[in-house]
Parts: sequence; structure tokens; C-alpha cells
Amino acid sequence: MTEQPIPAMLPLSPADIRGRRQWPLPKLADPNAPLLEVRDLKTHFRLGRAWVRAVDGVSFGLADGEALGIAGESACGKTTTALSLVQLLPGNGKIRGGSVELFGIDLVQKSERAMQRYRWREISMVFQGAMNALNPVIRVRDQIAEPIQYRLDQPEAAARQRAIDLLDMVGIPRKRADAYPHELSGGMRQRAMIAMALACDPAIVIGDEPTTALDVMVQAQILDLLERLRRDLGLSLILITHDLSVLAETCDRVLVMYAGRVAEEGPVRRIFTAPRHPYTRKLVGSFPNLHTDRRSLAVIQGQPPDLLTPPPGCRFAPRCDFAMPVCTEVVPPEVRFSDGVRVACHLFPTSDIATVGGSTLEGSTLGDMTQR
Amino acid sequence: MSELLRVSGLQVHFPIRRALGDVVRGRAASAVRAVDGIDLSIQEGEVLALVGESGSGKTTTGRVIVKLTRQTAGRVTFDGQDVTDLWGTRRLRAYRRRVQLIFQDPYETLDPKQTIHDFVAEPLEVNHIGRSAAEREVMIASALEAAGLRPAATYASRHPHELSGGQRQRVVIAGALAVGPELVVADEPVSMLDVSIRTELLRLMLDLRKERHLTYLFITHDLSIAWVIADRIAVMYLGKIMEIGPANRVISVPRHPYTAALVSVAPSPEPPAPGERAKRTILVGETPDASAIPAGCRFNTRCPLVFDRCRVEEPPLIDLGDGQSAACWLAEQATSTGGIADMLPNARRPLGLASPAAQRLASQAAL
Repeated sequence: MTEQPIPAMLPLSPADIRGRRQWPLPKLADPNAPLLEVRDLKTHFRLGRAWVRAVDGVSFGLADGEALGIAGESACGKTTTALSLVQLLPGNGKIRGGSVELFGIDLVQKSERAMQRYRWREISMVFQGAMNALNPVIRVRDQIAEPIQYRLDQPEAAARQRAIDLLDMVGIPRKRADAYPHELSGGMRQRAMIAMALACDPAIVIGDEPTTALDVMVQAQILDLLERLRRDLGLSLILITHDLSVLAETCDRVLVMYAGRVAEEGPVRRIFTAPRHPYTRKLVGSFPNLHTDRRSLAVIQGQPPDLLTPPPGCRFAPRCDFAMPVCTEVVPPEVRFSDGVRVACHLFPTSDIATVGGSTLEGSTLGDMTQR
Repeated sequence: MSELLRVSGLQVHFPIRRALGDVVRGRAASAVRAVDGIDLSIQEGEVLALVGESGSGKTTTGRVIVKLTRQTAGRVTFDGQDVTDLWGTRRLRAYRRRVQLIFQDPYETLDPKQTIHDFVAEPLEVNHIGRSAAEREVMIASALEAAGLRPAATYASRHPHELSGGQRQRVVIAGALAVGPELVVADEPVSMLDVSIRTELLRLMLDLRKERHLTYLFITHDLSIAWVIADRIAVMYLGKIMEIGPANRVISVPRHPYTAALVSVAPSPEPPAPGERAKRTILVGETPDASAIPAGCRFNTRCPLVFDRCRVEEPPLIDLGDGQSAACWLAEQATSTGGIADMLPNARRPLGLASPAAQRLASQAAL
């Protein structure tokens, strides 16, 4: 009864992926530019006369066919980052700095009208509460057909057929395609949300806690589906979650955010097995794991800072076990290491790239430091 | 240790109203069989986790135990007394002081207009606990501090919106503790919280067990949370217990394919090597409707190991020794180190029980 195992990942090259597009790239797109490049993004929320600095200088990139996980606690700015990419911020939110370049086109500069060319057609989103995101009085099939009809300018019949095909692809049988959202189970609704995100054949799908409200087995099914779609369609994924364990088996790279900034970013195996930033280490240690001693769970004391008046220096310093005097005064710069990890922590002030020159970094992780 | 709670032959069926057309056509009345015959026993001071997906009947079982839902059949015995037919607010007052419930969502449990102090005070006043107002104040403060809201005075006058999700759940715990219960039924108490906060609350609950001599029935859909907190784990599916036993045995040597599948999809210790995939048994489809439970073994429609007998005859809970039982025809054959997971195609193998020292470590209850 189990489904066929999926073979090893991604045989597609970036050129393949762009070659498979059904609809043309945006007119201004540079075919050789990276898929997505976010630089020093600052998204703040107005609160009275002050600004809450929800996202405060976040940079990252996403390559064709790649899956990036963004992890962090509630209110660390991960959802705000995602909403900034598609500019669906609440009324009091504003991108106050930085750039979001898709195929080399800066989306931050785009007007709302111009953004419509990109939102859903190039970057789409799967939200957490499928019941809230779907319209309860429209058949699932028709909800998915709508963007195909209007955004891609397809005739109604073709749009409906594509909607049914998409639903079939995500595991909703044809005979269920004309159901209303309330007639579907939670897992099925989330599948419908995914089908809708795929409606306009986007280059990037952002999943904001796509599995959080689901049962463990359904969660595994949905993650499996996302991985399958990523391989079959050459999608690039951004998965946002507070639960690092969701990312372990689905992402290539993980970005750990804390209080609106990047704490650490790197290949998934490095983040999980050799975390450098004390916060990453706590996060990795805090999820229950059936394969380890159950008493070894880490606890992160205290609470994230108020982003109206964030502490000077490192924002994690008040909760950090390794805090030094410098941490409360100087903002730690982001330092890149030769194993592809980027860390913002005073414990790792200098990169090994210039000095060691590309060798691996055994012995320089936080785990090793604390064992001494 | 003596037995604190026993549930035997518990059934909860919710009748489905027939439409007029169904009555005219002579269709039989049907029912949602939410809980369909389970036996449980909880020892004093123990943490028993009831694990299952949506629709498994775990919450309904908890609600019967706290007397919020009437059973269709079966008996509930608490501390030697039969409480099956104890109903009515007044008659239940003494029972409710001894058995408390913690709900999943602290945002909905707390009244937004009520202060923290008043929330904790309410059960004391309703139950006429404490001889004077001053004595009650002491009890409120001690409950808040026990739940980790220290000093109590700084929290007492606040409203729920001034607190974080984790703090709200602590308030809910304080409210449950205030009346001095013996058994706490916790229904998904950490599911709404960030993973990083869950650990703290689980630890708090375990500390409170020691300090206040509590016994927990811990209801969760997440096997890995059960693994952190429970002494024993019972895995439910469609209203019945599929497997029950000491936590380390259920996790390391599962003898029911459903348990093994749940273990295999639990978070892994580290990401798979590049180009590899983790071995998981992802069950296909969804839990069937509890108004149309499959004949034979109720898991047979999704079981990777199903054979002819499973479709006609429902397996009983088979005692496998060491306190472990499983309702599967293959359970007795699955004696290898990884339990029945070794028989599953493509499954991530549980580690099996390693050295005696490791076994001892795993069986020690405290975090």
C-alpha cells in the first residue's frame, strides 16, 4: 500500500528548469541572473509613531530547483520576510530598504499593478490555515481555475481542465474536484491549496507553515508531495516553519532567523549536525527526537526581544549562554565559512576562507567548543 | 503504586440522525463509533500518553474520563470507586476537584476580559476551596508560581493578551493545579506552541508531577512528544487501541504496523546524506470515517502488511510480555530487534533496544 519510493533528488539543471517553463519569463528578466536574490531586506510595521523592525536586514538567495527552509520562533520575522517577497504585507507594513530581485528584476520598486505580473505567476504561496485561505462558497476546482483564466488569459474550459489536472497531480481524485472546501479533510484542503499555488506554473512556491496544523502522517504525506512536485516540475521552494524537523528531509539549505535577522544559514546537514550559532544549536536541540535520549532536550530560556526597541549588539545576547561583553554592544557581522555556512555571532569573528582556504571545518563548531 | 483510574470496555457512539428519506427507505440508523471498546488503566504517579491522529477517539476518551461526554457502554473507575454513572454538577463536584482537564488552545481557554488572578480564583470559589479569602490568595499565588509564573504578583493583575502563548498555557496549568487535583487529563497541551517552548512546558509538567504527586493522561497526535513525557504509550486508531506498552518498547520495538509507521515518519536525528532519502513508511490515504469502520481489522485498508485474515477477523489486543500488547495478527511473529518495522517495506528501522544500560536509561521516567 505504500507509494513508490522517490529516487534520488533533482536530476534537473537550472537551464533545464528554465527551459521547461510553459509561459515566458517576464519581459525584463535577465536569463542568466540568479532566480531570487534578497539583499538587506528591511520590512517594518508602523505602530503609532514608531516602527516595529520585524525584518531588519535579511539577505539570502534561492537557486533554480532549490529548497530553502526558513526557521525560527514565532515573531522572528519569517512570515514577514515571505510576505515581503510577494508584497502582501498588512496595511501598516512597509518595505523600508533593500531589494528583492527575481531574475534580476527588483520587485520592491514595482507598483502594485506591476506586481500582479509576478505574484502568483512567478512566486506563489501556500498558507497555513487552508480553511481560511480557501473561499468556502466556491468549488475547489473553480477557485483554482480562476487565476489560470485571468492571470494566464486562458479560455474557461482550458482553465477548468488544467485545474482538474492540477488537483489530480496533488492527489485529489477527479470526482472530488467539484467539492466545496468544507467537504474535504484538512489534508485534502492543504493539497488543494498546493494545487492552487501551482495554478500559474510559478518558478517559486513559498510554503508558510504548510503542515503545522496537520496530523503527523498527513504532514509526512504533504511534505512528500512537495518534494515530488519540486522534482517533477523543477520548482524552487521556500518552506517557513517553527519546527526545524520539518526541514531536515525536504530542504537543501536552512536559514535560521532570530528577531528579524539572520542568525545562521547553510547547507541543511551542516545546520543540523554542526550548528555554530548558539541559537541554532538550541533550536536543533529542542525538538523531540525518537532516536535520542529523551532527557537531552534543550530549553531556550526567556523570550525574543521587543522589536520596537531591539537591544543593541546581538539580539540573542540576553538569552545566550555564551554571551560576552562585546555581544551587548556590537552587532555581530555575518561571516561566511568555507563549508557554505554564514553566521552572525561574535564567537565566530573571522572566516576560514582566507586563511585555511577551502578545507573543511572539523573542530570549529560550537559543539566542539563546548566539549573542551 | 496503586491503580488510580481504570476504563473498561469503553464505547462512545454518536448517533447520526436519519433524514426523512432514509427513514422512509427503511435504512438503519447508524452511528459514529468514536470510541469503540477500549480498556485502560493508569497507575498513581504515572504518565500515560494516548497517541492518535484526528478521529482516533483520543479526545473523546479524555472527555469521558473528565465526565464531559457520556459513554455508550463501559465503566470508569477512579481510585476504587465506580464513577460511571456519576452525573450532575453537584454530584460531580468532588470528582472534578480530583480530576482536572487542560485544553489545547490557551487562547480559547482564557477569557480575554478576565485577569490571570480571577481565572485561577474561579475554580477555587466554585468548589468552595479555602476557608477564607486570604487562604485562597495564598493558594492562587502558589499555583501561579508552581506553573513558573514568578513572582505571581507581577502576573496576577494581567490580562491574557499581555502574555505570550507559553505563558498563557502556564496560566491554564495554574488554574488546573489550584484545586489540587490527583489526575490531570491534558489534551494536546503543547500543540499550539512553538517547538522551542514545548520542551519547557513538558519539563514543567514533569516537575509538577513530582512536586504535587500528579498522574497524567496525556493526549497528543505527536508520538515524539509522547516519547518525551510518557511512561507508557497507548496508540489509538479509529476508536480502538492498536498498541500499548512502556514508552521505550512501543518506540523502539513497535509490534503494530501502525505504530511502526508513526515511528518512521517522526523527525529524524539528522538529514539524510546528499542524494539519499530517509526511509519512511508513509501510509496512503486517510483514516476512514468512524461511521463506516472497515470490517475485520480496522487498520486493514491502510496496512502495508495486510493479508486475508485481517479483512475478516478483528485481532484482539495480544499480550506480548513486558507490559506490551498489540492488536495485530502479526504481532507475535514480529520478534526481531526492530519489532514489526523490520517486516515493513522501505521503513526506517527503529534502533531496537540496545544495551541493558541504554534500556535502563530509557525507562527512567524523569527528563
